[in-house]
Amino acid sequence: MRNLNSCLIGAALVTMTAMPVMAQDRNVTIVLGEEVDVVDPCMSSRSNVGRVILHNVSETLTELGDQGDGLMPRLATAWEPVDEDTWRFTLRPDVQFSDGTAFDAEDVIYSIERTNSDQIVCDNSAKYFGGLEVSMEAIDDLTVEITTSPAQPILPLLLSGVTVVPTGTDASAFITEPVGTGPYIFSEWNIGQNIILTRNDNYWGETPEVESATYVFRSDAAVAAAMVETGEADIVPSMSVLDATNPATDFSYPNSETFFLRIDTDVAPLNDRRVREALNLAIDREAFQGTILAEGVIPATQIVPPSTLGWNPDLQVWPYDPERARALLEEARADGVDVDTEINLIGRSNNFPNVTEVMEVMLAMIQDAGFNASLRMYDVSEWEDFYSKPFAGDRGPQLVAAQHDNAKGDPVFTMFFKYHSEGLQGAVWDDRLDSLIDQATAATGDEREALWREAFRVVGEEIITDIPMFHMVGFARVSARINFQPTIATNSELQLAQITFN
Amino acid sequence: MPEIAEPRPLLVQIYRMLMADKFALCGVIFLIILAVSAIFGPIFLEDAATRPNLRGRNAPPLSMENGWVNFLGTDSVGRSMLARILVASRNTLQISFISVFVALSIGCALGLIAGYSTPRTSNLILRGADIIMSFPSLLLAVIVLYMLEPSIFNLVLVLAITRVPVYLRTTRAEVLEVRERMFVQAAVVMGASKRRIILRHILPMVIPTLITIATLDFAFVMLAESSLSFLGIGIQPPDITWGLMVAQGRPYLVQAWWLAFWPGLAIILTTMSLNLLSIWMRTALDPVQRWRLEIGRKTND
Amino acid sequence: MKAFIGKRAISSVISLVGLIIMVFFLSRLTGDPTALYLPLDASIESRELFRELHGLNDSIWLQFWNYVQDIARLDFGDSIRRSRPALEVVLEAFPWTLLLAFITMILVTFFAVLIGSLAAFRAGGVFDRFTSTFSLIGSSAPDFWVAIVAIVIFAVQLRWLPTSGTGTIWHWILPITVLFIRPFGLILQVVRGSMISVLSSAYIKTARAKGVKTRPIIFVHALRNAMLPVITVIGDQAAAMLNGAVVVETIFGFPGIGKLMIDSILQRDFTVILAAIMVTALAIFIMNLLIDLAYTLLDPRIRY
Repeated sequence: MRNLNSCLIGAALVTMTAMPVMAQDRNVTIVLGEEVDVVDPCMSSRSNVGRVILHNVSETLTELGDQGDGLMPRLATAWEPVDEDTWRFTLRPDVQFSDGTAFDAEDVIYSIERTNSDQIVCDNSAKYFGGLEVSMEAIDDLTVEITTSPAQPILPLLLSGVTVVPTGTDASAFITEPVGTGPYIFSEWNIGQNIILTRNDNYWGETPEVESATYVFRSDAAVAAAMVETGEADIVPSMSVLDATNPATDFSYPNSETFFLRIDTDVAPLNDRRVREALNLAIDREAFQGTILAEGVIPATQIVPPSTLGWNPDLQVWPYDPERARALLEEARADGVDVDTEINLIGRSNNFPNVTEVMEVMLAMIQDAGFNASLRMYDVSEWEDFYSKPFAGDRGPQLVAAQHDNAKGDPVFTMFFKYHSEGLQGAVWDDRLDSLIDQATAATGDEREALWREAFRVVGEEIITDIPMFHMVGFARVSARINFQPTIATNSELQLAQITFN
Repeated sequence: MPEIAEPRPLLVQIYRMLMADKFALCGVIFLIILAVSAIFGPIFLEDAATRPNLRGRNAPPLSMENGWVNFLGTDSVGRSMLARILVASRNTLQISFISVFVALSIGCALGLIAGYSTPRTSNLILRGADIIMSFPSLLLAVIVLYMLEPSIFNLVLVLAITRVPVYLRTTRAEVLEVRERMFVQAAVVMGASKRRIILRHILPMVIPTLITIATLDFAFVMLAESSLSFLGIGIQPPDITWGLMVAQGRPYLVQAWWLAFWPGLAIILTTMSLNLLSIWMRTALDPVQRWRLEIGRKTND
Repeated sequence: MKAFIGKRAISSVISLVGLIIMVFFLSRLTGDPTALYLPLDASIESRELFRELHGLNDSIWLQFWNYVQDIARLDFGDSIRRSRPALEVVLEAFPWTLLLAFITMILVTFFAVLIGSLAAFRAGGVFDRFTSTFSLIGSSAPDFWVAIVAIVIFAVQLRWLPTSGTGTIWHWILPITVLFIRPFGLILQVVRGSMISVLSSAYIKTARAKGVKTRPIIFVHALRNAMLPVITVIGDQAAAMLNGAVVVETIFGFPGIGKLMIDSILQRDFTVILAAIMVTALAIFIMNLLIDLAYTLLDPRIRY
């Protein structure tokens, strides 16, 4: 009922309030595109939750640097493998939660157990601990050993996404007042309207400039962008390329998403490699850049960005060669492949701005190369039925358009799901590829890199499982009164501590 | 010597009465042009409406530079706006017309029954309408279109169903009012059958109100379809309707206003024409009011 | 009168039950929500756990039976998405929309009746043409489009009003205006039509013939009779206001029930959808009851 009151009072006491004054103060307002409806730290891998919670309220043991400087210490100061399947983490001393309790090894153990609890379904668990058995031991107050089965060579990287909560946090339900070690305190949540964070004066690290941050939610990107223009807000971390019209305030950043079309290699005529090659040759990728997609998108050769371990530099962007595409198609036809079957392009509505236009243009290009193709756009849940297994038995030949997000620097998050026979979203069934992925997942160091590189070659050149399109960019609008540089990490977090005032 | 008015053929009569109301005349002419282009336009322009041309995207309107087809400009992937509007007009008009027609027929029939039968039947019908009305039509459409595919048929179905209660309740309200009037009471006393009373006395009194609502509903349906497109669950591309075009053009409002403007204008002009027509029809269909147009004719003669 | 209200209440409950059954099965048929809540690369195990926790593995009949039992105890269950009681989520959002719709409807009724009947007095005159045309243009434009244009003009260019959000009275002006336009156009037309019809009917003519010359008296007499169809439309529009609210609340970031419902449908948050339906349906039933009462007050010949 508090809301009823505030709503009525808000209407009644109108004269008492005035338009927000934005000048000299040290508060910022951030516009998110989707309402934040849960704030539990264990949901921080959901991007709108992460932008509020991650590294502001709750911190993680490790942090992935966004300027290519690898894994950095956060709540852990050092880590090392003890044996094949165990890692030892040394924790930062003299850290306090915002409720005053001290941070120690028990909190780390409790947090990971809570994340994997069977009472609540945490995104972080699904994302980072799927298929892993975890056991933990506190060696002393500031040392913890984590053992996984099977062995997880990139455990420290995984833990860069796992938020730490104090021991005793309710593990049977999502909490609504998160407590963390971060530079900000979760101080107010007016459901549906805003979330307010205030600076934590007992923070272990440097004191940031921003004193408080208000998060508001606007699903219409044009409205969100307008709010910065009128001074009602300071940052829109994610907006449409269409609204990025002011070079002084609008910055593009690689948003770690890669746009591609997955080819179903099991259904004729797509089970013929020549047909799959022809599809790739039919697309004029250059035509999209700076027209319906941003100037800054990078044509992709594989579905992970170049900063990923094992990204294969030898793969070339497919040239636009409709002649050759037609020739390949005729060749396949001559060999009895039924190339006239209608191929269905399956798009996901609102996947990114302009996705419909992009799909329509791709359809026209594919048709120009002599294919019989059609396009359907689906909303996310229907689209999921096409994208994830189990696939329908009588499905026709399908090209499913998707974006893949891998900002973690290791392709293990990608390869199993997309290319293993048992992967949830894989439409390729190849024994050699399966064993390559299995080997690479268990390998470390140079061997790991070489194996991933080989796997990418098999996927992109030997089999041709996708039509890789672009590494995409996002746009952020930042008010002129503050300094904030959006980076690849802006897709999943927004560290208030990185903001300074002009 | 006073001229004795001879009964004229119906069409001539309509023509004369239309000439008396220039606004309605404009509306009718617009609607006829629209209907013709909706039927024949797509045959010639299908290709121009679907073939992207990224080099000629967002070409501004009102210039013959890119050929007459692109006179209204091109959209975000370089397709002719003119061709797209004409191709979209077919879907749009089909959806709106069929939905409104179905809703009006069912709603009117049920309303007459509800207003002129036993309280029990009447109650049953009204509670049925309440069920539909107690759930906002747009949300009902969202749920149904979510479950079924957002095809044109399903869209028509759900839009029609959600509009039925409006006609039903209006008809019933009018019936309740009309049946107490003197001439209906007189007919009852003189032993006219129920059927005759409804068809001869009540229906003609109800129809003008219903038509006013129907023409506005035509707009409502176009706009509801547009809102569904805005929410992303209406007609799915590559199919097009005006509503979808407005929804797709909205993000370009600042850079290329014509993307949302022309289809929006098409919706507005169509709605206005229908409305002007309905104002005229109201007068022309109402025996008490018709003299206004007839006087107009005589003074024009 | 008491008996009438009682009867209405019973039949309302029956139709509410019908609605609940329909929406329960519709919402269950729209697909498995698991995929929507978990990240795309969630493992099979976490998907299974999720289904287990939310009872999605039970047969649909068992799910329904459990739901009916809970509802009987006024327990609408927890929102799957938000992990909070669904009713709480709905009751937070509802007052916003109620207030928004209420203010808008009052303004709409007042202006539509006033301007509509003035137009009817001189049907076909300049004022009539002018108001008809403008109300029509306004109500023919898609509301989301009007909303964005209004924001661009009044908030971004002129800086008179805030773009969106809540907090001060200024935040309410644009949403109310956008929401106002369409029902205003429609009700204006019905008022006008109904008034013209009544003004030309026998008893007004009789009244005029009998010497009732003063306009106010005719106006009041005519209006009273013209209001019957008008009230029906006002009722419909008040219910339909939720349609506008969906779009307006989405654009202006208004935490009302329209936005909540569309979000819940898109997120397949069954419990919230059903709780929201219960609450809105209840509100609309109460309003319909009031409309029926208004009928009897306006026209004593109508008996229930």
